[in-house]
Amino acid sequence: MSLRITLRVKTPPGFRVDASALLPVPLATMTTAEIERIVLPAGNDRCIVGDVFEVSRSDTPAASDAPHAGATMVIENAAPWLDRIGARMTDGRLVVHGSTGDYSGFQMAGGVLRIDGDTGHFTACEMRSGRLTVSGHSGDFAAGALAGDMEGMTGGTLTIHGNAGARLADRMRRGLVLVGGNAGDFAASRLVAGTIGIAGQVGAHYAYGMRRGTLLLAHPPRHLPATFTEGGRGFDVFWGLLVRSLANEIAPFSQWRTASLPTRYAGDLAVDGRGEILVVS
Amino acid sequence: MSDPATLQINGTTIDATFAEAFPMKATRLVITAHTPAWAMNAAISLTGFATSVIGCGCEAGVERTLAARETPDGRPGVAVLLFAVSSKELARQIERRVGQCVLTCPTTAVYGGIDAGTSRAPLSDRASLGSGLRFFGDGWQISKMLGNTRYWRVPVMDGEFVCEETALTVKAVGGGNLILLAHDIDAALAASEAAVAAMRRLPNVITPFPGGVVRSGSKVGSKYPGASASTNDAFCPTLTGLSARSELSAEVGCVLEIVIDGLTDADVGAAMTAGIAAAAGLGRAAGLLRISAGNYGGKLGPYHFHLHSLAAGLTAGFDGSHA
Repeated sequence: MSLRITLRVKTPPGFRVDASALLPVPLATMTTAEIERIVLPAGNDRCIVGDVFEVSRSDTPAASDAPHAGATMVIENAAPWLDRIGARMTDGRLVVHGSTGDYSGFQMAGGVLRIDGDTGHFTACEMRSGRLTVSGHSGDFAAGALAGDMEGMTGGTLTIHGNAGARLADRMRRGLVLVGGNAGDFAASRLVAGTIGIAGQVGAHYAYGMRRGTLLLAHPPRHLPATFTEGGRGFDVFWGLLVRSLANEIAPFSQWRTASLPTRYAGDLAVDGRGEILVVS
Repeated sequence: MSDPATLQINGTTIDATFAEAFPMKATRLVITAHTPAWAMNAAISLTGFATSVIGCGCEAGVERTLAARETPDGRPGVAVLLFAVSSKELARQIERRVGQCVLTCPTTAVYGGIDAGTSRAPLSDRASLGSGLRFFGDGWQISKMLGNTRYWRVPVMDGEFVCEETALTVKAVGGGNLILLAHDIDAALAASEAAVAAMRRLPNVITPFPGGVVRSGSKVGSKYPGASASTNDAFCPTLTGLSARSELSAEVGCVLEIVIDGLTDADVGAAMTAGIAAAAGLGRAAGLLRISAGNYGGKLGPYHFHLHSLAAGLTAGFDGSHA
């Protein structure tokens, strides 16, 4: 059976809610009544799913032997008071119509999370695997690390169609982050490794403390960090692999071709210095 | 162990015997380069001195050339197959050969060529590819994860040597064989060349000996201690009156063997069938008298390729007959 669970917001609670319990695969094993009885933490308060959402589910025949692995959950009329949407999600498909609060996709380890709206801060924070797509803008610390933690995103793909806030991919170690718009200050700062693509402009101090990894810029930056140097030539083969890996992602990254080699800068020489900024123009 | 009936195709006798093959560990490597010629240079070098595991450590050969659209980096390439008796030895051969023959070859890159999702051969394990070679970079090397694949970028004098970190290996089959008994050298060479050409058109197999053909077919053991293999006196035309094991009639003047390694037993069987068809297509009129195969009585190798079964579907296209 192919399962689809729909949660439509009917009565906003008036305070922020931790929605991390609303995951497609765990909820696929529950009846509608059981889902309505789930208690969602909200700081010192709490709320019941049935009080906030109108819950429905549809089961349609499917060939899959693992009925819940492909479960889909849709949250309609979402708003920024919903924090931790898709947090620690491991499987299934979660579609959110509307904007979400902070920590969307926090430590997400698999599955597909699509948010048709804006997200708050810490989107895909410490994400490990899976695919998270934000059709609007995202706040600060997307794909970054929690304060005090050593590693940000360590796998998966985060796509932000709009703009990203400050500290994009701070301490990121693995994975792919693509931003269709602009990025705020300190984008790719303290980057350990991974790939970040920014289609628009970058703010101040981008690539600050970048140890390894690749920062792709679709537009020439206004200035180059002082601790970056000319990055040489002869990386055609890697560029061919990278371009091919982006073929199914958002524009302009999907439109890049192997024939036009970007300009490469290497750094940050203040740290490890094995990172690279590739400017495609 | 022999089938009672004899089979003839185009006047060539197909012996009622079987080839005995063994489990091996194998992998496919995809070598790409700036031009097809440089990819082939690396492939030929990597697969050199790899005719037999007895003395070479592995058996290897070029599987086929690859168009740019078929390779990970969009450049022309060559697929090679390597076979060894153990995962450990295969890993050692991969690292040594890629390090000396591909890393050194201008413009090349190398990737694992076994797809876990489509491989019909059972998966074995992962052999080190770039994870050891990266140290040549002396600290300048860069690792890159694209999707679920990790690559290494090692600075070299023409740019970067790019290679996948590991290569998937599979449980494969080695030692399929055909023995072609002909009237003379010319006839034996012509039949062998036709058979090898037919086999090389098939995927997942190699014929590791020079030109795909071996003249020094061997038997297990020797009169000399320490020699694990020695000449197959049963098929040596100069020993027809001397060796009690001789299987040659007076009209046989030359015998050549083709050894086939494949990723699955079905691949080896298909290659042997193609070889029988091509060689027997020349037939007795061209001097090919018999097609036989080597085995050890069926006690050593779990894969038995019976020639009559492989050739069963071929008789319709030729003047085939059962006697």
